[in-house]
Amino acid sequence: MSISIDRRTFLAGTATAALTAAWGGPALAQQGPRDKITVRIDRDLANLDPAYRTGPWDANVCRVVYQRLMKQKVNSAELELDAAEKIDQISPTEIGFTLKPGLMFTDGYGEMTAEDVKFSFERIGLPPKGGQKESAYKADWGGLKGVEVTGKYTGKIVLEKPRANIFTTVIGDVSGCIVSKAAVEKLGADYPSKPVGTGPYKLTAIERQRGATLTRNPDYKGPAPALQEIAIRFISDPRTTDLALRSGEIDFAILAPAVAEPLKSVAGLTVSEQPSIAYVWLGMNVEKGPLADLKVRQAIRLGLDVDQMLAAGYNGKAPRLNTLLPPQIFGHWKEAPVYKRNVAEAKKLLAEAGVSGLKLKLTILNQPAYQNMALVARALLAEIGVTIEVDAQEGGTYWNAGNGDSGKNLDLFLLRFNGKHDPNFIMQWFVSGQTGTWNWQRWQNKDYDALFAAAAVELDPAKRGEMVVKAQQLMDQSAAFVWLTNEVNVLVHRSWLKPAGVPGWLDWQYDSWGLGA
Amino acid sequence: MPRLIKDERLAYVTSRLLTTVLIVFGAMVLLFALTALVPGDPAKTLLGPQASPELAKRFITEMGLDQPLHIRLWRFFGAVLTGNLGVDVISGKPVVQLVASVLPYTVILTFSAIGLSVLIGVPLGIHAATHRGSASDTILAFISVAFIAVPSFVIAIFLLLIFAIWLDWLPVLGTSRSGEFLDEARRMILPTLALAAGWIGFIARLVRSSMLEVLGEPYIRTARAYGLPERMITYKYALKNACIPTIAILGLGIGRLLGGAVLVEIVFARPGLGRLVYEAVSERNFPVVQGAVLVVVVLFVVVNLIVDLSYSAIDPRIRRSPGQGAGA
Repeated sequence: MSISIDRRTFLAGTATAALTAAWGGPALAQQGPRDKITVRIDRDLANLDPAYRTGPWDANVCRVVYQRLMKQKVNSAELELDAAEKIDQISPTEIGFTLKPGLMFTDGYGEMTAEDVKFSFERIGLPPKGGQKESAYKADWGGLKGVEVTGKYTGKIVLEKPRANIFTTVIGDVSGCIVSKAAVEKLGADYPSKPVGTGPYKLTAIERQRGATLTRNPDYKGPAPALQEIAIRFISDPRTTDLALRSGEIDFAILAPAVAEPLKSVAGLTVSEQPSIAYVWLGMNVEKGPLADLKVRQAIRLGLDVDQMLAAGYNGKAPRLNTLLPPQIFGHWKEAPVYKRNVAEAKKLLAEAGVSGLKLKLTILNQPAYQNMALVARALLAEIGVTIEVDAQEGGTYWNAGNGDSGKNLDLFLLRFNGKHDPNFIMQWFVSGQTGTWNWQRWQNKDYDALFAAAAVELDPAKRGEMVVKAQQLMDQSAAFVWLTNEVNVLVHRSWLKPAGVPGWLDWQYDSWGLGA
Repeated sequence: MPRLIKDERLAYVTSRLLTTVLIVFGAMVLLFALTALVPGDPAKTLLGPQASPELAKRFITEMGLDQPLHIRLWRFFGAVLTGNLGVDVISGKPVVQLVASVLPYTVILTFSAIGLSVLIGVPLGIHAATHRGSASDTILAFISVAFIAVPSFVIAIFLLLIFAIWLDWLPVLGTSRSGEFLDEARRMILPTLALAAGWIGFIARLVRSSMLEVLGEPYIRTARAYGLPERMITYKYALKNACIPTIAILGLGIGRLLGGAVLVEIVFARPGLGRLVYEAVSERNFPVVQGAVLVVVVLFVVVNLIVDLSYSAIDPRIRRSPGQGAGA
């Protein structure tokens, strides 16, 4: 066989060879530990000003760019001192603090003082001044009278009334981040993308839809984090995330159980399940037609099989929840009843209520887990004579389904809320005042409201715990809630990477992420 | 009706410019109608559960959503005329800035895909036309139709599996961390291929049918009778006329590719205008939706305007009014 190479073939071949050389051949996944990693987030970073953050993805960056007076210990919800050298509960409504001296803001904005603390807290908790916008997190600092500056490093947080969760959900959380007053005033509208803090990392790059880069802050006064650089990549599609993990382009992601399962067999990747503190339930509108009858609600509760629903929705990986508060949260009701499916009893209750041929709409968010659970619920309830129409809605429509008068039209719905390590934070959405807002059940109970209010100001943990359990018992008696799961976060990461997060894994602790062997 | 503009070229350009302005105006009106019809309270969707009713109310006022539709429309028109597309209520940044930060990604991707479609589709179409009925023509027809029928995001996933996972030749993510040119170029390959695949097939089929039509024309028979080489007849005489419908369709192609880019941007985690609009719609972030869609519309009509004008330059019959055609 003769081979002839003309000028055109030669040029094409040369160009191909040059291109191949230029792009360097296959992109192989790095095998060993390294101090620069890439992390996937499923929502874009939008605002890194703690007062106007948009969600957990922003909050997790705020946690390491800024310092707080106190922060959570590694892999724990327990608090330890951070920017504060000392913090005292002077009285039920007064908290004194002393800052560590020499905490320097990045980009030359000087040393952190008590004035910065005052500015940071009051801009969230007090009415806005001078054209400033109100923070969506104003409720975090609800009841704040103000912050009194008593010295360069000392001050006093003054509250209108006692707050049982002031440390866990405010001072130790993102609304407790301390910003540079000078930087906020100077940078104005640019501040949300150019945050200035004293934390272990500084933001060195951010671009819409691409993500951000965190680089170790050389001026940080605490122990230096193990990782020099963390690139945060926004990847909305779970399948792309799966492929990027396989190819070595990203080192960490949290995925749904069904998506994460196949990754268990990939060498060099570790897949671990962490219980979440988000809570998912099937709710019923207690004002709507036959659902106003307690027996009908009880029948529906008995007609469902929570374990079957979880098997369909979460591959059987999510733990069952039997009450509002997940087990990791203070005030969890350990003795909450575990309802077993009882078709005969359910039918009997419906007959007693004089209801037959019941048709209800089940409103859900159009995501696979909820769709699968809804289909199982429909099949299960059909057996007790209840016909279910599943209405899967996209996010923007779904999250407004319980709003105002439109909420009166809801029958059944699947809901998921994110939690925090505080019972009052989780309980707040079910008070009477939330009817038509986030209380989609439209369940109104004065005793529950009173217990919620009392628990919020009760500083004795034992008494507070009792109140919280009683409140959960009232919810159980209403039969307006079929608790499903507190979900599970499946962490997928390089085996040499040791991620850290507050239990529940809504709050990541980038500064404590380490490298294994 | 007496003609106001005597010069036919100037008349044509003027009429196309007026049409373009009307299309943009119509699109803006339609945009407003859509934002009014989409269900869901933007304040609740954007601010989340912790927002107080007072804040939600202020937020709605800030977005101008408490105003009647015609007032909002009027304000938007006024703002657009001064180059102001509003402010993104989440980040507090001007929408123009947001759009400008992602627009280059979409433009580069779209034009790379169009370029690739032409580069591959035209030769394939010519080959199919000049080898009509052959095995290669049949195979090309099958492949072309398959590419046209399969959505770009499905092709994207297959490309990722083959080239990024099994062969490990190319990266999964569509943008680099470093921003280096070569790395960026390498990451452009798969998204461009995924977006272009359908259009490669479409252009190949279009060029094939146009070429077959042109190759049957009397002037081609005359050229053959004169003994001109087949290559010269095909590429010099037939291709120029056969390409006219293809050029016309490229304008529409830009619009189709802008739409298709959304899914490709999501699959490859690439920034882009489509993705920006998609997320803004989900969040009910109306200022960003309006601003970004307006830019897409303008981009689309401007490209079509350029295509129309170039088309009229290639084929003068286009700009003649009825009754003034070739034989008139």
